[in-house]
Amino acid sequence: MIQIRNMSKWYGNFQVLKDINEEIKEGQTVVVCGPSGSGKSTLLRCINALEPFQKGEIIVDGQSLTDPKTNKYEFRTEIGMVFQRFELYPHMTALQNITLAPMKVRKKSRKEAEEHAMRLLERVGIPEKAHEYPANLSGGQQQRVAIARSLAMEPKIMMFDEPTSALDPEMIKEVLEVMTGLCKGGMTMIVVTHEMGFAREVADEIIFMDEGSIIERGTDISFFQNPKSPRTKDFLDKILI
Amino acid sequence: MFDAVINNISYLMGGYWVTIKLAFFALAGGIPLGILVGLGRISHNKWVYYPVTLYVNVIRNIPLILVIFWFYFVMPIIIGSPLDPFPSAVISFIIFEATYFGEIIRAGYQSVSKGQIEAGYSTGLTYIQTTRYILIPIALRRMLPSMITQSIVTYQDTCLAFVIGLPEFVRRATIVDTLEVRSIQLFGFVAIIFLITCYIASTISRRFEIKEQEGG
Amino acid sequence: MGLAYEFDWSVLWRNPYGMYLVQGIWVTIKMGLIGWAIALFLGVIIGTMRISPWRWLRFLGGAYVELFRNIPFLVQLFFWYYAGPMLFGASLEKSINSIIGLNYYVAIIALGMYTASRVAEHTRAGFSSISRDHYNAALSTGLNHPQMYRYVIIPYALRIIIPTLTTEFLTIFKNSSIAMTIGVLETTFMSYKIDSETFHGLESTTGACLIYLALGLAVVGLMGILESRLKIPGMIGR
Repeated sequence: MIQIRNMSKWYGNFQVLKDINEEIKEGQTVVVCGPSGSGKSTLLRCINALEPFQKGEIIVDGQSLTDPKTNKYEFRTEIGMVFQRFELYPHMTALQNITLAPMKVRKKSRKEAEEHAMRLLERVGIPEKAHEYPANLSGGQQQRVAIARSLAMEPKIMMFDEPTSALDPEMIKEVLEVMTGLCKGGMTMIVVTHEMGFAREVADEIIFMDEGSIIERGTDISFFQNPKSPRTKDFLDKILI
Repeated sequence: MFDAVINNISYLMGGYWVTIKLAFFALAGGIPLGILVGLGRISHNKWVYYPVTLYVNVIRNIPLILVIFWFYFVMPIIIGSPLDPFPSAVISFIIFEATYFGEIIRAGYQSVSKGQIEAGYSTGLTYIQTTRYILIPIALRRMLPSMITQSIVTYQDTCLAFVIGLPEFVRRATIVDTLEVRSIQLFGFVAIIFLITCYIASTISRRFEIKEQEGG
Repeated sequence: MGLAYEFDWSVLWRNPYGMYLVQGIWVTIKMGLIGWAIALFLGVIIGTMRISPWRWLRFLGGAYVELFRNIPFLVQLFFWYYAGPMLFGASLEKSINSIIGLNYYVAIIALGMYTASRVAEHTRAGFSSISRDHYNAALSTGLNHPQMYRYVIIPYALRIIIPTLTTEFLTIFKNSSIAMTIGVLETTFMSYKIDSETFHGLESTTGACLIYLALGLAVVGLMGILESRLKIPGMIGR
């Protein structure tokens, strides 16, 4: 589903991503972890064509991002993305947040878009909040609306950029449950998170990144026990308590 | 090219000196009065709070030029003899700018979170120590950029003393202009002097702002 | 004058002085509204230039703002009024100077251009307070750039900017008083005119103060209605 080959990215002279290679198959869930500034978030933004990269190749569902014929806007509809700070449109209700792209990009009728949005809100467990504005929702509810908003474009891949790190502990669970549900439903997912319990439960692969490179990878929690580099060990010691 | 400016440079710069003096007295009086106004605006005593709030809201809704006129007309009645335009203008500036400085001080005070104050108390600091070591330093740092900006505005505002005949920078430029009719260079010169001085000052203010954002 | 000053408040309504003030108010309102239209139009364009991806546009926008913010409005007004016509050359200068009501037009344009620099700063600040990821969120759902600005970014930014623009709108009426220095017959000029004809400047300027206060209250009331219409729950005043 996703192939990343020899991908590198610079900000000016500073290399943020160094020779990234990764392959994600359909239905797989990959968890990315690592210290802040390691390039995790930048990697997600590159995959979603939100940031350019200078070297290598990213192919999503047979479409290469470096191919000039690739339409970036269509490309992005294949991938849903959920952000740390939710980024709901504050001037629209939950329902309007979800229906905007289907109506404007897919040209769906309002009725059709709203019916679909309501089904999605039920799926994330808050249909009763459809007509609330983001400011009246809790963080957990906002993040679930954000997930529904991404799902509304029926993406083949979902990406999550630290979706629970801005949430209070009691709200983390409700968001992780929705994500676990998606994963069990066969969605291809890339998740940047430090929720190791979640990683253990659903990840098909766990990647550890540091200073712009992937320095550890494992199909399960195996690398937790005997990490190859001391830095990985350091980091894991901190987040695993 | 700049003949009218060069021929009258000492007369013009004499006007600029009046402008500087006006700005100095306006700030020397406006900032201390502004501190009092700011304290009044955060006071819990309604006999202080309401009169000060009324004063601030009235003055901030009136054009400065009118405040200048008003004091120019009222001062002779109060003191019983005609008043020189300079002290009259200075009084108007102090009364006017103090309301703006007061609001900056109020906002700076209110930007310090309750938690920061409580943190001070919880480590055993007294009221005075908390004020001295926590409240004032944090609030001052937040206020500094706006204080500098308002000082620049005050400096620009002083040219409005023009309207009561004070021979400051702009008034002198118009006087030279009526004699020489060299409007482009004369007003261009005044504009450039203001542009350079204000630009330098606002660059300094922005430095402080960036430092504040970096948490420095 | 001395302490024996006798108040005569009738200069505020007596013929012809009452009419002076009414005419003055009308000119103040016209200047404020037309100047505001210019300021809003120019200011939004310049503010947007300042956050555009093109360096030279950012530079032009920045230069405009610095130029108009760092020179007192009075000086700008004098420059446009006295030096402005000369910039067109000797032959045109004469015909420009013979335009009836030139001072009024110059004052409105100068007021608009000056206020535009302030509107531009509010616009820029409004847009830059929206996080990068908010743009990304809109793009990631497949919206294109025009759609992103039209449906997400601009409505959001407008709601951030409107409260600060309210203050600016109030300021434009106050700043319009400076046009009296080039003889525009607005409220402050008229109160001064009453003084020169009656020597009751204290009363006439007090009256003018009350007029500006009432105008300010009216604007605050109107903008309050507008703000509550556009309110995003929990956003304004957060």
